[in-house]
Amino acid sequence: MKFLFLSVCLIFISSFSYGQDCTYRLTGHVHSTATHENLPFATVVLSGLDRTIVTDFNGDFRFDGLCAGTYTIHITHNNFDSAVRTVTLSRNVHIDVDLIPSTTVLSEVTITGVRGLLSTGIKRELSGTELEETRGASLAEALSKLSGVTMLQTGSTISKPIIHGLHSNRILTINNGIRQEGQQWGNEHAPEIDPFIANRLTVIKGVDELRYGSDAIGGVILVEPRNLRMTPGYNAEFNSIYFTNNRQYVTSAIWEQQLKKWPSFTYRLQGTFKKGANIKTPEYRLNNTALEEKNFSVTAGLRREHFNTEVYYSLFNTQVGIFTGSHIGNLSDLLIAIESPRPDPIYTGQNSYQINRPSQDVTHHLLKWKTGFDVNNNNFNIVLAAQYNNRREFDIVRNAETRGAQIDLDIFTFSEEINWEHPKKHNLNGVVGLVAMQQDNSYSGRYLVPNYRSYSYGGYFIEKWAKNKWDLQAGLRYDTKEINTNRLQSASGIFSSYEFDFSTLASSFNAGYKIVPEWKVNSNISFSTRAPHVNELLTNGIHHGAGTYEVGDINLKPEKSFNVSVNNNYISRNNKVAAELTLYRNAIDNFIYQQPKPDEPVLTIRGAFPKIVYQSTDAVLSGMDASARFNILQPLTLTSRYSMVRGRNRLTNDWLIGMPTDRISNEITYLFSNTKRFTNSYLSVELQHALEQTRVPDEKNGRQDYKLPPAGYTILNADVSTSFKMGGLPFTLALSGRNLLNKSYREYLNSFRYFTDEMGRNLILRLKIGLEHVY
Amino acid sequence: MKLHFLKFSLLILGSIVLLSSCKKDRDEENEEEVITTMQLTFVPVSGGATLTFQFDDPDGPGGNNPTIDQIALAANTTYNVSLQLLNKTVSPVENITAEVAAEAASHRFYYQPSAGSNITVTNFNNDAAGIPLGLTSTWATGSAATGTIKITLRHYPGNPPNKAADDTVTSSKSSTDIEVDFNTRVQ
Repeated sequence: MKFLFLSVCLIFISSFSYGQDCTYRLTGHVHSTATHENLPFATVVLSGLDRTIVTDFNGDFRFDGLCAGTYTIHITHNNFDSAVRTVTLSRNVHIDVDLIPSTTVLSEVTITGVRGLLSTGIKRELSGTELEETRGASLAEALSKLSGVTMLQTGSTISKPIIHGLHSNRILTINNGIRQEGQQWGNEHAPEIDPFIANRLTVIKGVDELRYGSDAIGGVILVEPRNLRMTPGYNAEFNSIYFTNNRQYVTSAIWEQQLKKWPSFTYRLQGTFKKGANIKTPEYRLNNTALEEKNFSVTAGLRREHFNTEVYYSLFNTQVGIFTGSHIGNLSDLLIAIESPRPDPIYTGQNSYQINRPSQDVTHHLLKWKTGFDVNNNNFNIVLAAQYNNRREFDIVRNAETRGAQIDLDIFTFSEEINWEHPKKHNLNGVVGLVAMQQDNSYSGRYLVPNYRSYSYGGYFIEKWAKNKWDLQAGLRYDTKEINTNRLQSASGIFSSYEFDFSTLASSFNAGYKIVPEWKVNSNISFSTRAPHVNELLTNGIHHGAGTYEVGDINLKPEKSFNVSVNNNYISRNNKVAAELTLYRNAIDNFIYQQPKPDEPVLTIRGAFPKIVYQSTDAVLSGMDASARFNILQPLTLTSRYSMVRGRNRLTNDWLIGMPTDRISNEITYLFSNTKRFTNSYLSVELQHALEQTRVPDEKNGRQDYKLPPAGYTILNADVSTSFKMGGLPFTLALSGRNLLNKSYREYLNSFRYFTDEMGRNLILRLKIGLEHVY
Repeated sequence: MKLHFLKFSLLILGSIVLLSSCKKDRDEENEEEVITTMQLTFVPVSGGATLTFQFDDPDGPGGNNPTIDQIALAANTTYNVSLQLLNKTVSPVENITAEVAAEAASHRFYYQPSAGSNITVTNFNNDAAGIPLGLTSTWATGSAATGTIKITLRHYPGNPPNKAADDTVTSSKSSTDIEVDFNTRVQ
């Protein structure tokens, strides 16, 4: 039949979903952007499942009995350009697809947008039900659901993600396409991002990292909002969450609209408010652990046939109290606090929303403007962004009259990018980009890092080729960075200024091969370079909380990482068994770390502090992530995960400090069949084990820790969720329990393990209400 | 469309130019609440010359090492001692003693002479609640000896501070603002 042109593309974006549920329905409607007519006889292919459907006379299509997960859908029609949509199913979903009349008959599949390039190398993503279960939690907490990702914490309120043992400046966080430039270097500096803006959180390794920097030694985190509304109408989503442990409530709302009169214009408003009181461990409540967060974002987009533009603004503000008992005057105080099995009663027992000193107040603004256009299937994108980050830390002060912050850091960042995606030719897809960034950092109060300005310029080139069972990807990136620092000490009148120039090169090669349709192997070799950050070069001062005096080194060289990883992904044809295994080895030369100098204490009026210097060694991090899902009986699914990482300092032939412990988790999900009233109902129970960290640096190389790692622990979590309609609106109601047995434990990668137990039992009630109207 | 593009680019470009041209090299603002110096003034009860000894670290923590005087006292003598705290990183020099006195209820000095130093410290001045503060004290010496004395300023961050008479220097209710060791000689 000439009328219908079937192009079957098998691009399988592998997604690994827990809590499988194979009762979802995907419906859709296809119509023409030019004439606004419904489009019958469009071919809709559900990639990976080899299911194909042709739209009916109303332009509608429907797939039944789908499992939860992420699917790629290809919509083709002989008179129109093809379209690709990615849909995450955690409930029944309806999509509307607009097809643009094709300029050339029988044109090839053109895929637009950053995510359009053929599948990436190694990636893990959190979306759908799994993401819903983390709503109300911090970004790092949500990400830690992915295997290979753990958290570095300062108490329960400050957390940052660790990927395969690396964190802070060794991983890049991409907030809606823009490299997040805040104060990422400190252990108690959490990413300044509201996870509610995302409908997908992805961790990528390999070739695609090069789009964002040459310094992603540990990997890249993508925080991606859903696409703007593509059909005239409006929709809204309202989330309301309550946490029993600290009486925390979270309210978040999204409003999206595409105007009827001006259908090329579409916008979204989004906001989140979060407020929590002091946190309770099983035995005591910790004073001054309250938090408050206010976030807001607005996106507006304009789409034409060969042109689209989008403006995005977001504001993030958080105020976090830091447990009073963790504020340390000097080393003797620290040792006393560590020896005591529980905090003094004066630091516990208050149940209040009030935030006192010590505390943090962090604000982040992001303004982004992205424009894309295409000329003869060449896609061009121009992205401009401005960021402003202000971080204020309020210490306990001797003088109660003092109102100001003891540390006040300001950082402005401007970034510009232009890229070109060339048309797909001979199964080859590619993108070339040029980037520039200007940054200005200033401080007042206690010295941590100097004022500095930095300028960087770079370029990248990525090509991807896919045919039959193979897909190959390669990329190259080069950046040059200039940093000018200055510090004028008013007491001494000494002006110190330094200039640094770093050139960093990165390259990556990825090969994927489908041994059988169910089993794909992906191998990746990446070489990346990270220039030392200003704090590693020039910090000089007491680190309260760690009880150390830290000194940077201006002679540090860029870290060079050589990372090899192999990923196996298996999904059985009937989708009843899925398994994934990743092995990696990351060799990092000039790895910058903190080495204690026990023979050179720094004498101050507060007493003597052990001196810690930044220095470099050659390190190797190797490890494994494994996960498997079995659909045992129809309603029952078992999901198991295991991850481990080993870090070695090769020059001292010793373990590296601060490596995540081995983790094992097992989860059983029971899926209830849909009733007339309730749909998508499930109950899941999870048992999480963390082993004790026994691989810590030998004390003969200089004592690096004050306390041995805590014992391993096991905690029990559970989730129950259901969806129903009330007054015509879809509701989702869920109840989650974390640490249900109220177990007292301490986590090795929480710096508060010196002082307090982790959070006790926490019940979380979530309500989500949707609303949609089509004009 | 093109016009919008142009306007926005100009805006961004303008901000960049502004950023790179307007900011001058900034002076380091004063680090708040630095204590550089502890001065002890000894007035013999039975008359005689006033003595002063100090711990002095004029550039603050880090940098040059502090200088610490040896406290040399006459044997079998009683001194009225007052303590002063200074911040020498600012000009004029800031006297922090009054600040501590004003918040006496959340501060306390401890004096710990080493065994055999032949120094005893008593008679601390009190806060409003009658609990020792220790900005002033009485030192009595015995026969000639050498030793050390540790002087600690503890700060109660709690609200209320809950300071109590029997709190020890290692009380977990308070944290250390100052901890200084002097060598002593009674001659």
